[in-house]
Amino acid sequence: MDEEKKLTKNKNILFGIISVIILCALLFPLYWAFITSLKTEQEIFLNPPTFYPHVLNTKSYAAQVETGDFNMFRSFANSFVISIGATFIAVLLAVPASYGIAKYHFKGRKVMLLSFLVTQMLPVSVLLTPMFIMFKNIHVYNTWIAAVLADATIGIPFSVLILKNYFSSIPKDLEEAAYLDGCNKFTAFIRILIPIAKPGVMVCAIFSFLYAWGDLAYGMTFILDQERRPITAGIFNFMGQYGTKWSYLTAFAVVTIIPVALIFIFMQKYIVSGMTSGAVKG
Amino acid sequence: MKRKKITALLAVFAMTVSLAAGCGNAEKAGTVADNAAADNAESSVESNSDEAPEETGQETAGEENAPSGEAQAVTIWYYWETEGHQVALDQVIQDYNGSQDSYEVTAKYVPFADFKKQLSIGASADELPDIAILDSPDHASYVEMGIFEDLTGKFDVGSYYEGTVNSCTVDGKLYGVPFGVNCLALYYNEDMLNEAGCSVPTTWEELMTTAKALTTDSVTGLALCSVQNEEGTFNFVPWLWSTGATSYDINNENGIRALSFIQSLIEEEVMSKECINWTQGDVMNQFISGNVAMMENGPWQIPTMQQEAPDLNWKVTLIPKDSEYSSVLGGENYAVINGGNVEGALDFLNYATSEEKVKFLMDKFGYISADKSIAENQFEADSPYQPFVEELNYAMPRGPLAEWPGVSDAISLAFNQVITGTATPEDAAAEAQATIDGIVK
Amino acid sequence: MKKIKNMFRYENVGILFVFPAFLYMLVFVGYPIIRNIILSFQDVGAGNLVRGTKNFILFENYAELFGDSVFRISLFNTLKYTVLCLIFQFMIGFMLALFFNQRFTLAKPVRGILLVPWMIPVTVTALMFKLLFATDIGVINYILRSLHLIQKNIEWLTTPGTAMFALICANVWIGIPFNMILISTGLTTIPKELYESASIDGANKVQTFFNITLPLLKPTIESVLILGFIYTFKVYDLVYVMTSGGPVNSTHMLSTYSYKLSFEMFKYSKGSAVANVLLAILLVVGIFYIKITTQGEEE
Repeated sequence: MDEEKKLTKNKNILFGIISVIILCALLFPLYWAFITSLKTEQEIFLNPPTFYPHVLNTKSYAAQVETGDFNMFRSFANSFVISIGATFIAVLLAVPASYGIAKYHFKGRKVMLLSFLVTQMLPVSVLLTPMFIMFKNIHVYNTWIAAVLADATIGIPFSVLILKNYFSSIPKDLEEAAYLDGCNKFTAFIRILIPIAKPGVMVCAIFSFLYAWGDLAYGMTFILDQERRPITAGIFNFMGQYGTKWSYLTAFAVVTIIPVALIFIFMQKYIVSGMTSGAVKG
Repeated sequence: MKRKKITALLAVFAMTVSLAAGCGNAEKAGTVADNAAADNAESSVESNSDEAPEETGQETAGEENAPSGEAQAVTIWYYWETEGHQVALDQVIQDYNGSQDSYEVTAKYVPFADFKKQLSIGASADELPDIAILDSPDHASYVEMGIFEDLTGKFDVGSYYEGTVNSCTVDGKLYGVPFGVNCLALYYNEDMLNEAGCSVPTTWEELMTTAKALTTDSVTGLALCSVQNEEGTFNFVPWLWSTGATSYDINNENGIRALSFIQSLIEEEVMSKECINWTQGDVMNQFISGNVAMMENGPWQIPTMQQEAPDLNWKVTLIPKDSEYSSVLGGENYAVINGGNVEGALDFLNYATSEEKVKFLMDKFGYISADKSIAENQFEADSPYQPFVEELNYAMPRGPLAEWPGVSDAISLAFNQVITGTATPEDAAAEAQATIDGIVK
Repeated sequence: MKKIKNMFRYENVGILFVFPAFLYMLVFVGYPIIRNIILSFQDVGAGNLVRGTKNFILFENYAELFGDSVFRISLFNTLKYTVLCLIFQFMIGFMLALFFNQRFTLAKPVRGILLVPWMIPVTVTALMFKLLFATDIGVINYILRSLHLIQKNIEWLTTPGTAMFALICANVWIGIPFNMILISTGLTTIPKELYESASIDGANKVQTFFNITLPLLKPTIESVLILGFIYTFKVYDLVYVMTSGGPVNSTHMLSTYSYKLSFEMFKYSKGSAVANVLLAILLVVGIFYIKITTQGEEE
């Protein structure tokens, strides 16, 4: 890293400015959602639109917490538990699987790889009813576990496909060196390969978490009780035959986004440095 | 050797899966794998055994009927997301639970957009409530599915509006009880009307002139929810029926006239094309924001309108007619699921359909009682709800037909085609007719 | 013979690693696939979902699809949507990845924040774009009007062609960070020494890009594109919330049409058939992917 020559000061500033412009352009929809959530319904319908709320309206946020049946904090916690559970399963199963696929050319390897891909291809309409029947039979219907099990099916194949590339980019010599040091296949995998693939594992964990966090269909279908539903299900409370209440919807959006965004902005130092420093030297 | 190895692997990994999946309940998760693996192997058999009806009944009943001595559980599914509606229903349920010891009723909210799906999946998996409160045009489809209990002779629906009773009657048998009714009528912004010097329109021609007079740079004359689904159909059929066309017979002079009229509203720019994305609630929001001068909408909007825009000066009148006044009957029906706790469900329904409870619910909902004898004295003469009671005399139900979703789809598509200008009224009518003929043989 | 024995000893250990994940997916996703295939050969509707006999009508559902104009539209839309989304999100994502790969002070923090669009639940994104693209209250129309690019508001979501455009915009917005982060991580696996020796050899930026960056990124690019294809192809939430397939069915995708048939129209078997067509197409793409990614690995 030290050998890398730093950019000149002027270039640094120029690139900084460009990056901020890109940032503003790409995040404009978020800004718009945020200010819309602070407007009154009447102001939202004003023409021309206002670029900041002229009358500050926090009612839409208060409503998220007050409404008896739908509690933002509780459903946030539900989403969190479900997503963590799904991430745990996905990483636990996907890391060894991707290693196996990347490093061993066993018979049926291609078929397995293909079957992981296939599982990614199913539209929800195919999965809902059979999964429902299964979850009912194993008595996890209407619990977090049902959503965890279902959400993990999105994270696993995705992680396998991504991590496979990480493992195959790790040179064989590293592994062989480990064998010389007295490691067997499993200890080599755990001691040598996982640490090297750590940035990849992180990326998989993050993506699995986010897939589970953003899931709507599974959480809605397999959990009936409002008290146990994930936060995304709340969207239907503000969207339906009684009209789209933009201030409520956007407030809901902001509340859904902010905590996750915060977690990842704080974690990103670790994520990005993991990403860049984890480079495998050829 | 190879086989042995794989068997051993299987055992090891079954355990891994159990540990991973069980969240502390390894035993349960073990069954997960077993069951599912079995399902997988015999899925062809499985898909047949799903439907054994006798099993269905016993299992659900067994699960939900608590041992004697304790109150038996009765569950309800409904889809109203308005808090006022939920609170009102809950109030009635609490009163009921307090009034007796045999049954304990609980209600669960299932979002409207998800309601049909949840009932369909629930039916496949034998996981249904004891009572469903559902949209009346869907009633016949679920009757055909065979999940509703025959209630013939168990309820006196003699004094109910005929259309509402029809919506839950199939082959002369009663499969539900109307919860409450509503219909569509025309709301108008009285201040805008006065300002433009218009009188209240009663015919399509007058409606067109009035809408033109009311349309300005920032205001469009008329709005009606035109989304391409059941909600849109609900808003279109009054116009269709007013010409003398029926839901099943569109490709004629009358049907084409209805489509042409809606098309001309768009062409004359007195109605926004945006209506195809507006739910009835969105239309109402546009109306109370003053962006729309007249709208087709239902009485359930009144509580919200009074609360959100107390100063807005609006009135309700009959939907202007082509050859005859016409409106559409909406509302929900109670249905009892067979195989569930039928006695408990019936007991609760008897309680909830008593005059006192009906009045309470209708009041809070902004609905009109499905019971004619109650509805006629439900409102004061100057109440904004009164025009809806009058409109009810012209209101007809959609269907009832098990294949209604298909017919409805064809109707809303035809209207959407003319609104977006993707087909002429003639072509749209012909296409819709072809679809409908394929459904209703 | 010895060779084979050897293979069992070494390579087949790999199955040990793969099997748990494989079994998990087999249980939770394999059963639905089989059930769906059976369902698509039957005649299941409202009348015989719960009781009554389900007749096997073999390919009748599929045959019916070919005469169904909405199906044809959905198929075409899905392809068009997927290809256009992929092109734009990949190109923009790639450029951003290269840009943020430079070592300027703000590179890492800004790249981190740019991941936010990806983290947002799709339903929420769909709502935001629905608001942005609204005809009268939408800010996009307002901006275009202020710049005098348009005189009259464009009815984005209520005109067939532009509704598709709005959907693609929303999806590209979601897809950019996805492409960017995967390509960024891919870029870090390229050894720095290669660039150094290239610059010693006097190669310019464009040459290094085409001779070093692209070839070494090949596995990453393949994954990004194929995964992107699969995720885009089965799009559901976004379309459902933004247009529900309208106006006039012009934005129906295979997934939304399958959902509509299965859960709104009570045509369970026909819905399954649509889903299977989607699956079949993706299967071909999947086989293609496996072929190109495992090529050269086995001599």
